[in-house]
Amino acid sequence: MPTLRRYGRIWAALAHNSLRTQMSTKMASGGYLIGKLLRMGFFLMYLLAIFKQLPSLKGYSVHQMVLFFMTFNIIDVAAQFLFRGLYGVKYLIEEGDFDKIITQPAHPLFRISSMGVDFLDLFTLVPVGFITAWALSKMPGGVTTGGVMLYLLLLANALLIAYAFHVFIASLSVRTHEFESAIWVYRDIMTLGRFPVTIYSDLLRGLFVTAIPVGVMVTFPAQALLGLLSWKGVIYALGLAVVLHLAAQRFWKASLREYTSIST
Amino acid sequence: MRKYLTLFIMSWQKQLEVRSDFIFERGRSLAVLFSLYYLWSSLLTNRADVAGYSRAEMLTYVIMMTLLRAWVLSNVTDRIPSEIAQGKLSDLLLRPISHFGYWATQDAASKSLAIGSVFIEMTLFVFFIRPPLLPPPSVAAAGAFVLSTLLAMAMYFQMSYMLGVIGFWTAQSWGPRFCFEVFLEFSAGAYFPVDLLPEAAQKVLAWLPFPYLVFHPLSIYLGKAGPEQWLSILGHQVLWIGILTLASRGLWGAGLRRYAAEGG
Repeated sequence: MPTLRRYGRIWAALAHNSLRTQMSTKMASGGYLIGKLLRMGFFLMYLLAIFKQLPSLKGYSVHQMVLFFMTFNIIDVAAQFLFRGLYGVKYLIEEGDFDKIITQPAHPLFRISSMGVDFLDLFTLVPVGFITAWALSKMPGGVTTGGVMLYLLLLANALLIAYAFHVFIASLSVRTHEFESAIWVYRDIMTLGRFPVTIYSDLLRGLFVTAIPVGVMVTFPAQALLGLLSWKGVIYALGLAVVLHLAAQRFWKASLREYTSIST
Repeated sequence: MRKYLTLFIMSWQKQLEVRSDFIFERGRSLAVLFSLYYLWSSLLTNRADVAGYSRAEMLTYVIMMTLLRAWVLSNVTDRIPSEIAQGKLSDLLLRPISHFGYWATQDAASKSLAIGSVFIEMTLFVFFIRPPLLPPPSVAAAGAFVLSTLLAMAMYFQMSYMLGVIGFWTAQSWGPRFCFEVFLEFSAGAYFPVDLLPEAAQKVLAWLPFPYLVFHPLSIYLGKAGPEQWLSILGHQVLWIGILTLASRGLWGAGLRRYAAEGG
């Protein structure tokens, strides 16, 4: 319990620093926030415009498609809010700050993740929440409490997978001092989850539930909420997250052993 | 001319210095292609057309749009604000080279690399996925498309240079720039054809330069804009280049008068 409290205090202090930095650059932060809201708004506008001319896509109605899109947004935004700091591992290494972090009495991954808590992303969750609620209110027959609980569980599961990918990429940076763009590739691959993975070809669909689990992260929670995911699917998703998380932690530790300071 | 050629070669070398980052950066464009290609492919499986686009036309739009994203919408001028803020601009001003020419050369080097790699990516995509890729309706249409694309590249460079020069007024221009780029991508037709939008939105966009970057060149390619409209499209592009050139030169002059060489 004292350890948890200590980590809570570290997170709060670093998040506070992060918020102050963002508040000191109001124009830049405002531009980012408006840009993110614009991007979501435009996508939604196009989606609604397309579905005005079509009754459904692979059996999904427009409101169900909006739910998939909003689920993608929730996971993407929450992952950025919590793990954004891990984007900057290469920069920390180049500046020599990484050496300082690994000698401090806190887990380096936690310490680095907490350095970039992105409050702008948190603001974007407000409209996302409203639009999700609107889409759910339009579902014929509504949604069940069990469905909502499963949805929340699989959202948390998706965040664990997202964290594992962030750790993999951070580890690659520690090992090679390269792969800065890899995190952006991950972000772009995530965007494939804006739509349910059932629209993709068999080969891609297979990839999206195994090696590149965008489907497990985004499509599965929304399908669970709609009552379209089997228990096998739920268990598979939970198992995959645990395996990926353990593998990422091992890779991180192995990468730390390979690390050589380049800039102290 | 020789100095610009040297700069062009140096810029190539710099971009290829960290090859893993270059490859990852290129891989990012494929995510947009895959998501939109399969979305439209699924939407149009059992339908003749959507908003006047047949399946083949829409999929060709998505593929050609990916090419134009790399050719037209790539830029390197996002580095100008930090160059101004850190005083590095002073060094450039003392050299026998124009600032505009310096960045135009770097932009050309970056685009030439993008053109080469996007061709490889598209060839692989066409080879493995075998999409219905339509050719332009005539040789004249192909010529008009190439000309329109070149004008779009000049237009976008002027816009992005102008955004970079805003760095004279604020060190936080990256926020508004992000916001502008999101708006630009959607209103240029770099995700979906602009004519899918409601008529009122299309009327507003017609007054702006953005649809001339991607949507109108692709309308020429697909034969949606007939020969009688080519002159109007090309004329509008030339007009916008003129307006943007005047605006960017004006901003550069005004910015230079404010420049205090901080940190230089």
